[in-house]
Amino acid sequence: MPAAASASRTLGRDLLGLALIACVGLAGYWLFPDNLAFLTRVISVALLVLSLDLIVGYCGIASLGQGALYGAGAYAAGIACVHGITDPVLLILIGAAAGAVMGLLMGTIMLRAHGLPQLVLSIAIVQLLHEAANKASSITGGSDGLSGMSPAPLFGLFEFDLWGRSAYLFGLGLFLIVFAVLRFVTRSPFGMVCRGLKEDPLRISALGIYAFPVLLKMFVISGAVAGMGGALAAIATQVVGLDSVSFEISANALVMLVLGGIGHLYGALIGTVIFMALEHVVAAINPFHWMTLVGAVLIAIVLFAPRGLSGTLDELVRLLTRDRWRAGR
Amino acid sequence: MTKGFLNRLLPASALALAGALALGASAMADTIKVGIIGPFSGPFALQGKNFQAGAEAWLAQNGKSVAGHDIELVYRDLPTANPQQARALAQELIVRDKVQYLGGVYFTPDAMAITPLLKQGNVPLVIFNAATSAIMTSSPLVVRTSFTTAQTTTPLGKAAVERGVKKFVSVVSDYGPGVDAEGAFKKAIEAAGGEIKESIRIPLNTTEFSPIMQRIRDAGAEGVFAFLPSGPPTLGFVKAFSDTGLKKAGVKLFATGDLTQESDLPALGEAASGMITSFHYAVSHDSEINKRFAAAAEKAIGAPDLLSFPAVGAYDGLFVISKMIAATAGKQDAEKAVEAVKGLGWESPRGPVKIDPETRHITQTIYLREVAKDAQGRWINKEIASVPDQKDPGLAK
Amino acid sequence: MQTALSIAMDALAYGMALFIICIGLSLTMGLMRVVNLAHGAFAMIGGYIASYAARDLGLGYTLGIILAMIGTVIIAVPLERLLYRRIYDRSELSQVLMTIGITFCVIGITNYFFGPTLKTILLPAELARSVDLGFRSIAGHRLFVIASGLVVAGGLWFLIERTGFGIHLRAAVENAPMARTLGIRTEIIYAASFALAIGLAAFGGVVGAEFLPIEPYYALRYMVTFLVVVSVGGAGSIPGALAACLLLGAIDVTGRYLVPDFGNFFFYLAVILVVCAFPRGLMGRAE
Repeated sequence: MPAAASASRTLGRDLLGLALIACVGLAGYWLFPDNLAFLTRVISVALLVLSLDLIVGYCGIASLGQGALYGAGAYAAGIACVHGITDPVLLILIGAAAGAVMGLLMGTIMLRAHGLPQLVLSIAIVQLLHEAANKASSITGGSDGLSGMSPAPLFGLFEFDLWGRSAYLFGLGLFLIVFAVLRFVTRSPFGMVCRGLKEDPLRISALGIYAFPVLLKMFVISGAVAGMGGALAAIATQVVGLDSVSFEISANALVMLVLGGIGHLYGALIGTVIFMALEHVVAAINPFHWMTLVGAVLIAIVLFAPRGLSGTLDELVRLLTRDRWRAGR
Repeated sequence: MTKGFLNRLLPASALALAGALALGASAMADTIKVGIIGPFSGPFALQGKNFQAGAEAWLAQNGKSVAGHDIELVYRDLPTANPQQARALAQELIVRDKVQYLGGVYFTPDAMAITPLLKQGNVPLVIFNAATSAIMTSSPLVVRTSFTTAQTTTPLGKAAVERGVKKFVSVVSDYGPGVDAEGAFKKAIEAAGGEIKESIRIPLNTTEFSPIMQRIRDAGAEGVFAFLPSGPPTLGFVKAFSDTGLKKAGVKLFATGDLTQESDLPALGEAASGMITSFHYAVSHDSEINKRFAAAAEKAIGAPDLLSFPAVGAYDGLFVISKMIAATAGKQDAEKAVEAVKGLGWESPRGPVKIDPETRHITQTIYLREVAKDAQGRWINKEIASVPDQKDPGLAK
Repeated sequence: MQTALSIAMDALAYGMALFIICIGLSLTMGLMRVVNLAHGAFAMIGGYIASYAARDLGLGYTLGIILAMIGTVIIAVPLERLLYRRIYDRSELSQVLMTIGITFCVIGITNYFFGPTLKTILLPAELARSVDLGFRSIAGHRLFVIASGLVVAGGLWFLIERTGFGIHLRAAVENAPMARTLGIRTEIIYAASFALAIGLAAFGGVVGAEFLPIEPYYALRYMVTFLVVVSVGGAGSIPGALAACLLLGAIDVTGRYLVPDFGNFFFYLAVILVVCAFPRGLMGRAE
């Protein structure tokens, strides 16, 4: 297959994918106009899960501390907002910057180890930050949460109000941009090297590529994405709590990612949407059995769909279209 | 097969349709929805169950309608402090479920996330628990029927000094309520002529307290004030206090009633006996109205030893909401509703209470209690003294 | 000096309690290569059984411990056959997820049957008494924990280094196919060591209940602590786990005495430093 044709084809598929997400997002806006705060929350968490996918799925680094990056963004945006910087776009950028800096720090520490110790480092980092946020209660509000922020209307026109329309559309737009950029990043030679490092580090290093700066760069990108998710949450909720920088949110993010399937950006999105929708519905019906159900779903996924929902979907599609594929080749 | 399926499906959908119609009809007959947000699952599920038990006890005693308007409770689960989720739930309750009143809320950050919505939603919020003073200033549409940490702590300082204890060490968990308690106790002790030798803050998840006991010993304290979240930390603290011999050495342990929640007492047992706490409500409170409340709430919660203070917050919360409904004749008017309950006084299971017109926080009697066994051999918080008409000192100007 | 001794005593007791609970996890992770995050759940099950036996049935502490260990193993063995066996050679991520799933289920079910309140395990009079050590009095129970820790450490070392079972286990770990060709029945070895690890978890859950009280969220609340301790020690190494427990226990307890405000900071800082300095754990095995 000629390279140019393949490139234009992937571009076409990307555009299609983005259009699809946009359509589903807008459909959500029309279909559930009363649940927009929840849907905004889903987008914010989806950014977190997406950022985790960059590290776990594309670099093979296990992390149970992604909340550190998300929380850094949330608190940075929240603190900036309380101190008078109220432009939402600017706040998102501040969140991204804070997340990126935290990603740099976290990456520098975490890349010193591999496997399980690496996982433990990520936990230790998020716990340390949690403690720090609790301690610095004069800046962060501690366990009572940081409140009292009132972001300015978006572009000076659309207010962040009870109905949450502007927050949702703002979030959706942000998500589409981030998703498009990440599609590009993961396709780029840099993204390929990351994948290579995950699959076969020895071979990549034989090519003369030093792993550390490559992975660190991905950590920074991941931090920026997670930071934007946090900042979006801060803007939409107008309160930042300690839960945004916690082990729990990190573990939940990982669960959602694996549910959707690691190493696909779509997987991160699907996992988040399905997990949170289920939680929203089931927990409202019977909060008590929610935990048992999640547990059972996790076990089932590991046993029967080890590549997550998107991976299984892929496989199904491949099985169904196998003949056509062959003919195409 | 297909036909059988259809046959089963048709009546089902007809039923659903009829149900929907009936719902619509009953909405015409004026059903007022009250959204209750609380931790109904997760580590704090017991507190949420108490919300539910208290609310249902009120409905069981007073019927499901107020002045001709039916009340429907809509529960939403918020397992841990999570402002983002709190806002989403509150928004959904207001916009989609069209609730006229919001109630519940266990954690302060959740309350803070909900208050900005109240004005636009034209909905009052009646807090059943969240105990930080500052919530009341964040919106004029908030009323609180629980307590604040400063409110329950302050009377304890004077009582402790009156018991001849002068030198104290305070040990609190390092989070908002803990820091509030530390400050309030220190102020009260110093006003009464006592002295705080040392103030110790410990991480929230601590369960092993021997080193803290060593510090208390080193400081030469005669009394210890503690504020910890109920559950494992409290159990660890009380055990360590008696295991390390501090209790035997005659050091007195003081705390707020959060620590000796009735549901924890069977586990704390002997180790906690003699501990003196101050609080707004004990399940064992001796009054006719409380006996009736406790019986109804125990029935709602299932087992008698699960009942504790959040239930009374919810019970009184529903009373306040019922007054709001009556005052607005069922119309949605948050300001008028809140205005109507300012200064409202009534006899609660905990004793005489009143909504302070200025702060919209509940004014109530704070009791001094001792952990002891009752006639049936059950561990209870036995009331030994009472300090009536306590406002929230955290809000007093 | 007295204070230092006293703190050391507390640190030792706390470290030993951690050790008894965690050593089973270290075995599963190091020897069987399974990141079993549900380890705490099994410790909790043990605690519940003992509490039920000692408190509600009045069977006493010793019998409670024995029943807890047997009962927990009986619950765990079918899980091993049905679930764990399928993740032995899967990635760490799958193992983490499956065992988190198991933990959630255990919590949900426990909550349903035993309710959300704290459970205590009735101590016999000898252990509940305070013992005077001259420089301080200490709960008899703490001395019992220290002694149990030493016995467990010694016993395990002997079992793994000096017995036939230990040789077979190590062989199965180093090279399972080769061990099988030599006639070692690796599934039985795995099942037996899994049962051993779970039995130890239950034992730890019971004797450590004075430090880590039993309630449904036990399994989740201390999950991170257990995982961290084992990784710092180096999975699979008994002396490593012992060293890690004593070190982290000492840092935790001393930190809490000296600067209680920043208790957790020291713990996690120490973890970060140790993991950075010894990426395989204090006494981890080279891969």
